[in-house]
Amino acid sequence: MTKIFKSLSFAVFMALSLPFAAFADSIKIGFNAPLTGFAAADGNSARVGAELAVEQVNSAGGIGGKQLELVIYDDQASPKESAPLAVKLITQDNVAAGISGSYSGATRAAATIYQESNVPYISAYAVHPDITRAGDYVFRTSFVGEVQGRAGAKLIGEMMGHKRVVMITLNNDFGKSLANGFKEKAGDFGIEIVNEYEYSIKDREFGAIVSKAKSDEPGAIYASGYFFTAGPLVRQLRAAGIEVPVIGQEGYDSQKFIEIAGPDAEGVIITTSLDRDSADAVTQDFISGFEAKAGYPSDMVAASAHTAVLVMADALARAADESAAALREAIAGASVMASTGQISFNALGEVQKDVQIQIVKDGNWRHYAVISDTELLAPPAE
Amino acid sequence: MLAIELVIQGIVQGAIYALIALGLVLVYGLLRILHVAHAALYTLGAYIGVIIVNQGGHIIFATAVAMVAVGFVGIGVYRFAYKPLLDKPPLIALIASIGLFIAAEEIYRIIFGAYGMSFAQPPLQQQIELFKGFHLSTARISVVILSILFIGVLGWLAASTRTGIAWRATVSDAGMAASFGVNIEKVRYINFFIGSALAALAGVMVALLNNLVEPTMGAVPAYKALAIIVLGGLGSVRGTLVASIALGIIESFGTIYLGHVMDRDAIAFTFLIIVLMIRPQGLLTRR
Repeated sequence: MTKIFKSLSFAVFMALSLPFAAFADSIKIGFNAPLTGFAAADGNSARVGAELAVEQVNSAGGIGGKQLELVIYDDQASPKESAPLAVKLITQDNVAAGISGSYSGATRAAATIYQESNVPYISAYAVHPDITRAGDYVFRTSFVGEVQGRAGAKLIGEMMGHKRVVMITLNNDFGKSLANGFKEKAGDFGIEIVNEYEYSIKDREFGAIVSKAKSDEPGAIYASGYFFTAGPLVRQLRAAGIEVPVIGQEGYDSQKFIEIAGPDAEGVIITTSLDRDSADAVTQDFISGFEAKAGYPSDMVAASAHTAVLVMADALARAADESAAALREAIAGASVMASTGQISFNALGEVQKDVQIQIVKDGNWRHYAVISDTELLAPPAE
Repeated sequence: MLAIELVIQGIVQGAIYALIALGLVLVYGLLRILHVAHAALYTLGAYIGVIIVNQGGHIIFATAVAMVAVGFVGIGVYRFAYKPLLDKPPLIALIASIGLFIAAEEIYRIIFGAYGMSFAQPPLQQQIELFKGFHLSTARISVVILSILFIGVLGWLAASTRTGIAWRATVSDAGMAASFGVNIEKVRYINFFIGSALAALAGVMVALLNNLVEPTMGAVPAYKALAIIVLGGLGSVRGTLVASIALGIIESFGTIYLGHVMDRDAIAFTFLIIVLMIRPQGLLTRR
């Protein structure tokens, strides 16, 4: 009996240790994203985007023969969760680097810990300016809010030629930084900001703001938000008979926005990172690969997480040795064609890339224009 | 003109608050339980409404099914969550209620998906021009009309039917009512059924206004409805109605003129604090 038990437990032990043996030949990357809670939709899209990138890298032979492996944790978009998870990823999972598929609060908290431990960390789509200021191990592959706000001002004032603008601003770090960038450059493009209204991320009901905005008689509306606030907002603006263009940003960038706003979404224009009509193979592979894997069309957060993983994989392949310092050097020197365009970083670790302008046409996001003005789009450098 | 528009927008919002808060105040009046999970039933109503319409059901049919189904779920909540806790301090039931609410949000997310749901072809979106330059969608107008209708019927039920009298007797003194032969258990079931059905109605209405139903859509009503019943003077139905409309209108003006200083919730709770400082017994005094 004991003999059987012994051989059984040995077999179980072997079975359990097999996966670990396999993992010895892999490179681990930590990934924190909100998989439950209010931001779960974005978190899960980001996760699928990151997983897709890992599959693509691995099927192309991995990194120097080693497979990439994501270690994924749910941070509920909360700093309370992301900070201990960062510690766990670094000390227990021994990840070579980390990627944030999460919002600003959670990403900031984790960034500090990665920096203190000298482990490279890339923020895929969190916008708060302080994230990269955590130190030289922290990078960002998406625009800070200010950059996109400036692009929005150029789009409305110069490219579309509307001069009377009402702003509807989401009062969190995302909306506020967009508004700051927009106001900073509005004057340069001859825009008069008639009024600015603020709302909170919990609001879905904009009756009062819509009534007031209508009485302001703007030429265009610059409204920051996410698809779950912007969808109801656009629908309510149109239902009140406001026909002027609505300009948004990457927070709108999801098929779900079009689903919520329905026919009212037609003609809405946004500044974002993902060009659905890009001729680039990486982008097209991502768009088709994501839809096949996720079962719904790609969005900005997925593309951003996908980009962050590709940038990390590229740096891992180029790093001089296996040290964190060498990996950091490699990321800093990146020049990668990814699903959100050509990526390189400035001294602070902020991305330098073009802003894509997309428009809703026949129920889909389509190419409208691209802004490549490096001076206008210069990210903060310190 | 703008002022009138803002008042009307406030009344629309207030009507939704009223539908949600009524169920809460009914439960509080009867059991002295702060029924936080009520907001989860509101979310459930919205989901049922959207799903039935997307399956080809008419919006009136969908609303009716949502109200009846959620009404029975409300009875279930009472039977399985609150009834076993009735002899415990009310705090225990409150904790159970909060737990139930959080669990419900995650259950909705698992079943219905994190992205939320929308009507494929949203009904009641025709615009009606109330006066020059002021359009309201049929959905918005329906919110107000249906609220008045259902709350009116409820008031009539409470005032003029045997069930209503039994209900009022149970609220003022359950023991005494029981000794006069009122079936208290039945009163409680009816109470939860009606309150939950109204929450479901509010859920479907909000789905029509926003065309978005999310697992977490109950989060704001969960605490705002509590503020409203406190404003109304805990347990007062009339006070709750007045508080709902007042809060809707104050938020409507507040988002425009105070929006850059504080958000909608901050405005609502500032109003609550001011009212409680002046009238600790609530907007309308009981008795």
